[in-house]
Amino acid sequence: MNNEANQKVLDLIEKAVPGYNPEQMNQGIEQALRQGIPVQEIKQALFQGLELSRKKLLTRDVPLPKFLLSIDVLDQGFKRLSATEDREKSGAIPLVIGVVEGDPHDLGKNIVSRIYSASGYQVHDLGVGVPAETFISTVKEKQAKVLALSSMISTTMVQMPEIIKRVKAVAPDTVVMVGGAPLDLNLAKSFGADGYAESAVTLLEETEAALERASVKEKW
Amino acid sequence: MAVMEIVSSLRKKQIPPLGLIPDRVLDFLASLTSWRGKHSELTTIERLLATFRHKEPDHVPCAPLVGGAYRQLTGASFREFSLDAEKAIEAGLLGSEVIGGDVLLLGLDLTVEASDFGQATIYPENSTAHPDYSQPLIKDHTDYRKLKRIELKDAPRMQKVIAMSRRALKEKGLSAVFVPVISSPLSVLAMMRGAAQVFKDCILYPDDVMAAAETVTAVLIDYINALCDTGLIIAAPDMLFASESGLGKELWEKMEGPLGRQIAEVLHRRNCLIAIHNCGDKPYFDSMIRFMEPEAISFACLADGCKDRKEMKKRYGDQTAFIGDVETPLLFHGSPRQVMEECRKVIEDYAEGGGFILAPGCEYPPNHNLLNAIILVQAARIYG
Repeated sequence: MNNEANQKVLDLIEKAVPGYNPEQMNQGIEQALRQGIPVQEIKQALFQGLELSRKKLLTRDVPLPKFLLSIDVLDQGFKRLSATEDREKSGAIPLVIGVVEGDPHDLGKNIVSRIYSASGYQVHDLGVGVPAETFISTVKEKQAKVLALSSMISTTMVQMPEIIKRVKAVAPDTVVMVGGAPLDLNLAKSFGADGYAESAVTLLEETEAALERASVKEKW
Repeated sequence: MAVMEIVSSLRKKQIPPLGLIPDRVLDFLASLTSWRGKHSELTTIERLLATFRHKEPDHVPCAPLVGGAYRQLTGASFREFSLDAEKAIEAGLLGSEVIGGDVLLLGLDLTVEASDFGQATIYPENSTAHPDYSQPLIKDHTDYRKLKRIELKDAPRMQKVIAMSRRALKEKGLSAVFVPVISSPLSVLAMMRGAAQVFKDCILYPDDVMAAAETVTAVLIDYINALCDTGLIIAAPDMLFASESGLGKELWEKMEGPLGRQIAEVLHRRNCLIAIHNCGDKPYFDSMIRFMEPEAISFACLADGCKDRKEMKKRYGDQTAFIGDVETPLLFHGSPRQVMEECRKVIEDYAEGGGFILAPGCEYPPNHNLLNAIILVQAARIYG
C-alpha cells in the first residue's frame, strides 16, 4: 500500500472521532491494520480526532454532549488496539486520577481521565469516592508522576489539602493537579496543588506547564 | 378578584403575588418606592418591587443563597437537614434573622424530586445528599419510557418542601421571601441516569429522553401548583443545562426549552415570579428569556456571547433582573475584606438602573462558616 492510501484511511479514522461515528472508526481501524499501518499511527489518528473535537469545544463549535460521544468513540478505538498494554510498554507518564471520598460526581473526572489517556498518559483511574489512603498507596505503587484530584462539592473538596500533604510526604516529585466546580486558581494554590485546570479545554496545557515547573523546581 | 386576593394576602401579613398587580400600577408603585428609598430604608418587599421593575431601591437586595449551611445554626447534620423538614425550616428561619437577606433559599437538597420518583439516595452525615449512582433508576435508554408519573401525595420529600414553604410564609410574612429551587426536567433525569449519559442520550435517543422528561414535567407542574397554593411569590427553576456546562444551545432549545416554557407558563399563570438559577458556564440568557420570560436570572458566569459585565447589562439588563455573581470559591477562601471588595465591584458593574440582586454565583458553600454570608448581606447595604 502506498502512503496516499494509508493517509486516506488514517483521515477516515480521525474524522470518525469528532463525527462520533463508531462504525466508520471500526472499519477504518480494520482497514488500517490490513494495510499494515503501525498501531501507534492509528492511535495518533484517533487522538488527533479527539483534539479536533476538544478544540471545537473551546470555540463552541461542538457542545459538551457531542464531545462526550467523541470520547466514547475514541475509547472504543483504543480498546480495539489494546491501548493500555502498548502504552505501558512505551513508558508513558504514569498518572493517577480519582474523585475524593464522599463525592459521587464523575462527569468531569471521566472526561479528564479519557483526555489524559488519549494524550498518551498511562492512566490509573480510581473512580469516585476514593479514600486518601488509596490515592497515596496507588501513587506509590504506580510511581505516578501526576496525581489528578477532582471534587464537585465543597464539602468533599476540603479533603484535598490533606491528601496533597500526605502524597507529597511519600512522593515529593509527584505533580498534583486539582479541578472541579467549587475550585479556582487561588484555592488550588492554597491547597498546595501544583496545577489547576478550569476545564477539559485547558487541561493538557496546564498539566504540561505544571510538569515543566516541577522539572525546573519553579514555584507556582 | 385580584384585589381581593391582594387584600387577603396583606391581611395574612403575607406578600401578595406581584403578578396580580397590573404592570402600570407596579411601575408607579416601584417609582414611588424608589423615590422613598432615597430618603428612608425600604422593607424587603418594597426593595424587591423596585428591583424587579428595574428601578433603584434604597440599596440592592441580597440573596445570600445559603442552603445547607443554615444547618450550622441549629447543629443539625446534613442528613438531618435533608430528611427532617422541621429541622431544615427551623434553621432557615433562624438564618433569616441571624444572617438576613431579602431573598432566601427554601429546600432540602437537590435530590428531592428524583428521590420521590424512586431514585435511591445517599444522605451522608457530613456532606450533601446525592443519588446512589450504583443504583440508577434509569439503567439504559429503554428505561426512560418506563418512568411512571407519581402523585404528589406519594411524594414525601416534595410534600416536605411544600410544608416548609407554608411555614416560612406564615412566620416571615412580609419580612423575607423564601424561594424554592425546582429542578429542571432533565436535571431530575440526570439524578436517575447520570448527567453524562443523559447528555449523550439526548443525541442518540431523543424521543426516549423526551418521553421521560414529559412525565417529570407533569409532576413538576403539580409540585409547582402546590407550592403556589402556599402563597409563593417567587420560584427558582434550576436550568443548569441551558449553558455550555450542559447541552448545546440548539439541543437545549429542542429538548428542554419547550418543557421550561410549560413550567414558566404555570408559574406566571399563578402570578409567581420566575428567578431562574443557572450556575453553568456561558448560560444561554437569550434562550432562557425566549422560552421562559423570567423576571430574573441567577448566574455564576457571563452570559453566552457576552465578553464582559457591561455588555451583559446592556444586552439583557432591560429584559430580566440579574442575580449574582460573586464567585463562590471566594466565599470559601476569601477574607471578609476580599469578599467586601468583590461585592463592591459586582454592585458597581450591575446595580445602576436597578434590576440587580447581589448573590453568590451558586449556593453558599454548605460546610463553610457563615461569616462571608453575613458579609454579603452587609456589602449590599453598604455599597448597594
